[in-house]
Amino acid sequence: MKNKVKKQISGFSEIEKEIEILRKHALDRSVEKGQVSQIIHRLHPRKLNLAVSEIHPETGSAKTFRLVSQDHYLPPFQAGQYINLFLDVNGILTSRPYSISSSPCQTAYYDITVRRIKNGFFSNYLLDEIQPGDVFQSTSPAGYFHHNPLFHGKDLVFIAGGSGITPFMSMVREATDKKLDQQIHLIYGSQQDDDIIFQKELSERESSHANLTVTHVITEPSSSFSGYKGFITAELIQTVLAGTNPADKMFYLCGPEAMYGFVLSQLEMLGIPKRRIRVEIFGPPEDITAHPGWPETIQKEDWFQIRLSQGRTFEAKAGETLMNSLERNGITLETSCRSGVCSLCRTKLVSGKVFHPAGVQIRKSDRRYGYIHPCTAYPLEDLELMI
Amino acid sequence: MVDYDAVVIGAGNGGLTAGLTLARAGVKTLMLERHNIPGGCATSFVRGRFEFEVALHQLSGMGTESFPGPLRSMLNDLNVIKDLEFVQMENLYRAVIPGQMDITLKADRGQAIQALKAKFPQETSGIDGLFDLVWAFCNQWVHVAIMRDPEASPEKYPIYFQYALKDTQTVLNTFLKNPLLQSAVSIYWSYMGMPPSRLPFGDFAIIFWAYTEFKPYHIKGGSQALSSSLLNAYMEAGGEVRFNCGVRKILVENNRTKGVVTDQGDEISTQRIVSNAGSYSTYVDLIDREHVPEERWRELGARTIGTSAVTVFLGMDAEPEDLGIRETTNFITETTDNDLAFATFKTLDSPKAMLFTCYDVDDPDFSPKGACQGAIVALAYSEPWLSIPTTRYYETKYRYAQDMLNTLYKVFPDCKNHIEEMDVATPLTHMRYLGHPGGAIYGFEQSAKDSELFLDSASPIEGLYHAGAFTGMGGFQPTLMSGQSAARKVIRALQK
Ligand SMILES: Cc1cc2nc3c(=O)[nH]c(=O)nc-3n(C[C@H](O)[C@H](O)[C@H](O)COP(=O)(O)OP(=O)(O)OC[C@H]3O[C@@H](n4cnc5c(N)ncnc54)[C@H](O)[C@@H]3O)c2cc1C
Ligand SMILES: Cc1cc2nc3c(=O)[nH]c(=O)nc-3n(C[C@H](O)[C@H](O)[C@H](O)COP(=O)(O)OP(=O)(O)OC[C@H]3O[C@@H](n4cnc5c(N)ncnc54)[C@H](O)[C@@H]3O)c2cc1C
Repeated sequence: MKNKVKKQISGFSEIEKEIEILRKHALDRSVEKGQVSQIIHRLHPRKLNLAVSEIHPETGSAKTFRLVSQDHYLPPFQAGQYINLFLDVNGILTSRPYSISSSPCQTAYYDITVRRIKNGFFSNYLLDEIQPGDVFQSTSPAGYFHHNPLFHGKDLVFIAGGSGITPFMSMVREATDKKLDQQIHLIYGSQQDDDIIFQKELSERESSHANLTVTHVITEPSSSFSGYKGFITAELIQTVLAGTNPADKMFYLCGPEAMYGFVLSQLEMLGIPKRRIRVEIFGPPEDITAHPGWPETIQKEDWFQIRLSQGRTFEAKAGETLMNSLERNGITLETSCRSGVCSLCRTKLVSGKVFHPAGVQIRKSDRRYGYIHPCTAYPLEDLELMI
Repeated sequence: MVDYDAVVIGAGNGGLTAGLTLARAGVKTLMLERHNIPGGCATSFVRGRFEFEVALHQLSGMGTESFPGPLRSMLNDLNVIKDLEFVQMENLYRAVIPGQMDITLKADRGQAIQALKAKFPQETSGIDGLFDLVWAFCNQWVHVAIMRDPEASPEKYPIYFQYALKDTQTVLNTFLKNPLLQSAVSIYWSYMGMPPSRLPFGDFAIIFWAYTEFKPYHIKGGSQALSSSLLNAYMEAGGEVRFNCGVRKILVENNRTKGVVTDQGDEISTQRIVSNAGSYSTYVDLIDREHVPEERWRELGARTIGTSAVTVFLGMDAEPEDLGIRETTNFITETTDNDLAFATFKTLDSPKAMLFTCYDVDDPDFSPKGACQGAIVALAYSEPWLSIPTTRYYETKYRYAQDMLNTLYKVFPDCKNHIEEMDVATPLTHMRYLGHPGGAIYGFEQSAKDSELFLDSASPIEGLYHAGAFTGMGGFQPTLMSGQSAARKVIRALQK
């Protein structure tokens, strides 16, 4: 609208005058340079620079790494969240997510507790090579596997398997240290009774806090073991929760891939509605070809050509995630969860076909326009990626 | 030789339509977005089996195929409408003050008037009077502001010139007595983020009239479907885009843009830049102080940064009707005193005005079968959120959200027993994902002094153009249209 016209609106000149005065006494906003990013940085820094301050062996197969900040500041987190560690493992810049096992009540360090897995690429490197004083980067804490007071309630059942104890350890530490008004039942499955991570601390906390109970379940017990043996069954859950109504509780599951299917079916038998169950993500599946929907004609060891829009081409195995193949070829994408849900690595697939296991969370419109999450995508044909 | 004819900073609504318009005109364009997905506010995120809508509650300006509104016409021009499916909403809204008032207005002038008269039979002439004024005003506004009648004058269009900048509350008072009735009619003030006492009547009249005439809409697949279709069309037209790639600096020489530097440190040369980063961030954060004329610092200093929001996203394992939800758009307020309600947005106390949208009412495909999603939104300024220590951020967020939920449960008690997923976004969340000061979602405040009439969005730096909420009005329709208009200026300049 022309100024000449505007000026005839009643009230216009009064407001013009107001603006004139404001301009005269205006705050020079150039002094605010960088303020927005500083504020965001306090809660969600893009990357953390961490150093290992101590390494503490937990069991024969697991160690805790105490991580301190090189920037003198660690953002707060919610018990149950994880960080994604970036490391150069034998010339490959890759990353893995690890739940923080320490309590959010202190802000000096994050502990992560890593368990060895057979042929583990990253875990074995951490356990065998990393020394106090070593430095690396991580994402800031992320993830939704934490207590949400708005609807989870106060009656909580934690079901852990193996290294899946780590997020629960943080939650238990917080609840007991802060004396939170929560009733916690921890049902904790381990393979062997001499390889139970945090066994001592859990039993100490259990005996000094009436609202925490810990039940161990061992799949390969020694002859001297007298507790629960086998799997975490509906019957066992019912026994542990005797006298209470399971449907009032919130169930949390974290452990190896194989545990989920089984325990979820047990919870279903108990009539627990899905909305009362929280399941932690667990990374790409161990054997993708065993997943429902995987095409029979394609074998793990089939190789396909991956072409990048920037011009490079390399070969990738059908049985391995695209993210791993990319990393092996020197391309590291932004990522946090490596489990298909955080969407940081979303990439446009220009041509070709990939397999995503069920549970990978891709937006409707991303599916429509051909975006994939390389952290959980497997090539089924020659591909072109917009990278 | 420059690397690109034009660079677009940010892939929000304004950046996307700017980029698409440029690419379609054959301009070699690069779009740089800090986040990993297009849309800015106009986006979604997935939790469990729900894809949550971040921003879009009611899309304005669409109209019908036979009576298209300005936004439909633009999306037609951009040839993206074929990729999208729109769902027309039957109602403007339901307005509830628990225990005091509950009324639903259809998106139809006659029916809305009827509903108001049925509830407030003593005020039938006032209701007619107000509606007549709103429609007469908008009619004249179209001639003055849209068709730009060269003979526009207070004599020819008295209602426009007299009422455009009057405060809405004064006008309400002249027609309506019952504060409940005033509330029922004026609740769209919260879409503008200004209480009626400070909202120019012109802006109120236009929003009420436009939603009634062009109807409120929902997009199948949510606002992300729109953002993704715009980006897709942009790329098909030859536009290039980089995600996870923020712009750290705009290079200026002799009062002319020369290029940009990305967060990764890449320098990209270009003479034309459309910034969707908002005029505040563009000048304050991206350009060295000495390159910005003193006049612009004064201009920015006189502006007030507008409101952000707190949203509680709810995924529920029941159909809307099982939860007693019959309308898509539900305004829930706890007072008829809108100034008081507005004041709560500047505190961490329970907000006294909020909106609850359940998308599945008008679009049953929005969530999986047997489930629905809702979003409770309250406007909120960032200041009180910035004053809490980071170590108390999470508990503050939960406490605040709990207050909003308690208000929701007064109207929809069954929601409480069906929650499957829930997340909360605060002003800090909006700050993080948009990069705007205060997490502003509508740009500057929508008071008279910061409204489009007094905003000069032309940049004093040659080659720099602005798109998005900070150029005038917030909201989908205005920001989408601002990008197209910025791009047209670039195209004209390139043709010279
Ligand atoms: C949210 C979350 C939290 C977690 N928290 C914990 C925790 O607290 N403690 C814990 O111990 N674990 C945790 N994990 C699991 C952890 O992230 C790793 O998956 C685990 O340590 C195994 O990693 P790995 O590299 O050793 O094995 P894998 O990645 O499974 O590797 C198996 C094999 O694949 C091949 N391979 C994998 N990557 C590459 C590569 N880049 N290049 C070449 N070859 C490759 C190698 O041949 C290797 O032997 C968590 C996972 C998630 C998703
Ligand atoms: C909760 C909520 C509810 C809303 N409800 C409605 C509604 O019902 N109806 C309606 O019409 N409107 C609504 N809005 C408002 C509307 O969504 C916004 O006004 C509009 O989307 C803003 O668009 P924009 O073009 O200004 O860009 P923005 O959405 O602000 O996006 C800016 C983009 O620029 C990027 N960026 C910023 N700085 C940089 C940089 N330096 N480098 C690279 N990239 C950068 C950001 O990452 C972002 O993607 C709502 C908003 C919210 C948050």
